[in-house]
Amino acid sequence: MEHHASQAQIIFGLDPTWVAATLFLVTYGLIMLERVNRAIIALLAAGLMILTGVISQEAAIDDGVDFNTIGLLTGMMIIVSITRGSGVFQFLAIWSAKRVGANPWGIMVMLVLVTAVFSALLDNVTTVLLIVPVTLLITDELKLNPYPYLFSEIFASNIGGTATLIGDPPNIMIGSAVGLSFTDFIINLGPAVAVILPLTLIPIYLIWGRSLHTTQELRMRVMAYDEKEAITDKVLLYKSTLVLALVITGFVFAHDFNQQPATIAMFGGALLLLLDNLPRAFCDQADACHKTYSEVEWTTIFFFIGLFIVVYGVESTGILDRLAHEVLALTKGDQMITAMSILWVSAIASAVVDNIPFVATMIPLIKSMAGPMGGSEQLIPLWWSLALGSCLGGNGSLVGASANLIVAGFAERAGHPIRFLPFMLMAFPLMIFSIAVSTVYVYFWFF
Amino acid sequence: MTARLVMNPNPAVLQNTDKISLAADYVMQQRCRRLPVIDKDGKYVGVFGINCLLRLILPKAVLMKDGLETARFVKSSLSDLHHRFNEIMDEPVTLCMTEEATTVDPDTPLIETLRLLYGHMGSMPVVDSKNGKLLGTVTYWDVGRAILEAKV
Repeated sequence: MEHHASQAQIIFGLDPTWVAATLFLVTYGLIMLERVNRAIIALLAAGLMILTGVISQEAAIDDGVDFNTIGLLTGMMIIVSITRGSGVFQFLAIWSAKRVGANPWGIMVMLVLVTAVFSALLDNVTTVLLIVPVTLLITDELKLNPYPYLFSEIFASNIGGTATLIGDPPNIMIGSAVGLSFTDFIINLGPAVAVILPLTLIPIYLIWGRSLHTTQELRMRVMAYDEKEAITDKVLLYKSTLVLALVITGFVFAHDFNQQPATIAMFGGALLLLLDNLPRAFCDQADACHKTYSEVEWTTIFFFIGLFIVVYGVESTGILDRLAHEVLALTKGDQMITAMSILWVSAIASAVVDNIPFVATMIPLIKSMAGPMGGSEQLIPLWWSLALGSCLGGNGSLVGASANLIVAGFAERAGHPIRFLPFMLMAFPLMIFSIAVSTVYVYFWFF
Repeated sequence: MTARLVMNPNPAVLQNTDKISLAADYVMQQRCRRLPVIDKDGKYVGVFGINCLLRLILPKAVLMKDGLETARFVKSSLSDLHHRFNEIMDEPVTLCMTEEATTVDPDTPLIETLRLLYGHMGSMPVVDSKNGKLLGTVTYWDVGRAILEAKV
């Protein structure tokens, strides 16, 4: 990677290390305060990083912003924005509830599975945004408290998202920065998820599952649902399933053909846009395209752009390099102790703060460990520990992941609010449980 | 000319302690879409209307923000809906009345009153902004009659 940092002129002859560190810490502090939207803070801080001369604009754009992550996120958002209109999420949720005879615990297991699978293949926020309303409808019909279901879906979305390269933003960032493929993620994190998900259901069953009861009459009402009617656009369903299948296949083979995931996702997005718009008259296509593009979560995208620049500013001053050496001094350079420390610290940190800035900072920090640890191959277990910790850590509190807050919003509107502390009292120990399982997994899988 | 001159000073009202069953009977018999709700001191507290009744018998997941965009797959019978209604009929009308309905002050100029009425379909409570008391309602029919009966 070429560094342009030297081309920038620091203002007032200040020490760039101090300017960068101060900007970085203030950015983190303000993001945690939640007084100003994080996308505004990150972009402002990125601007200041360049204006104060810590890095040049060229360096910020060429070396700072990871356009592979940005492209992958944007491409997937385009695909999701078109796919969600087909009703396929609702179809699968209802279909799965009926497969278990509308039995309350059976529905819980099925909805957890559907949420986990969709979260692994698409983004967590969209998944819960579409699964939770169906969950509320079903629990309303069965006269069940929706709280256990919503709680479990939060867990399922974060656990499911851990399994793939595209499941959760930390994975996208790690995969892109390190060059880990879609298959690498499935092989290395898939088994962990396959163990953690059912294990998480055990305490949920013991606490809530045993007492979920409904009547035969109410179950018959759910059984009378016609899931096919949930498909609002059959043609769109075929088109989006086809493109999604092509994109996933593309992700699996991209690595072998030297292609980046961003290209696959963006190309998939463009292909689905084409298929969706072909039947429309030319003059109507502008409105349809505008709608699709406007549904891309630009606040997230700009947050990423700003954050990449801020972190690059800090990285270019060598602070993270020094910090990495400090960490290695603490862990005595032992690969396993370092991996376990990363797993636990990232889990606790991701429960309390946004995991995106955390992972964005950890990536260059871990990369700096390559030299002292004897090559980048030695870092592989550390990357998986970071992915497991930061994704699963999101379950630790209501603010741990965006999907958690979306579910809480629905719960509030349905009259069953999820409060911060009661949620954390249950969720934090359960998250720690999943990290304990991950610890055993990392130990046996990588060492 | 102000809202006071075109309002109905003796509209049908509901008390905030009235049961939903009473309100439903009245709304259905009188075919009125919206009724103002007042407290024991005559202060305006909200509006209860036909939409409130629909809201009570429809699943919350269909009505909430970002909720289900279609409910075509739900196969409910009339007796299911009646059952749902029975569950809430003894609750007070405040359970589902709208508190954010647009109201007008009696001194609102006529054209502004009509503009608001145009945007809010049907009827609006006239509320004294000083003491919060309900003074009457303005409906299309009251205004229409007042205009037709006015001397040219």
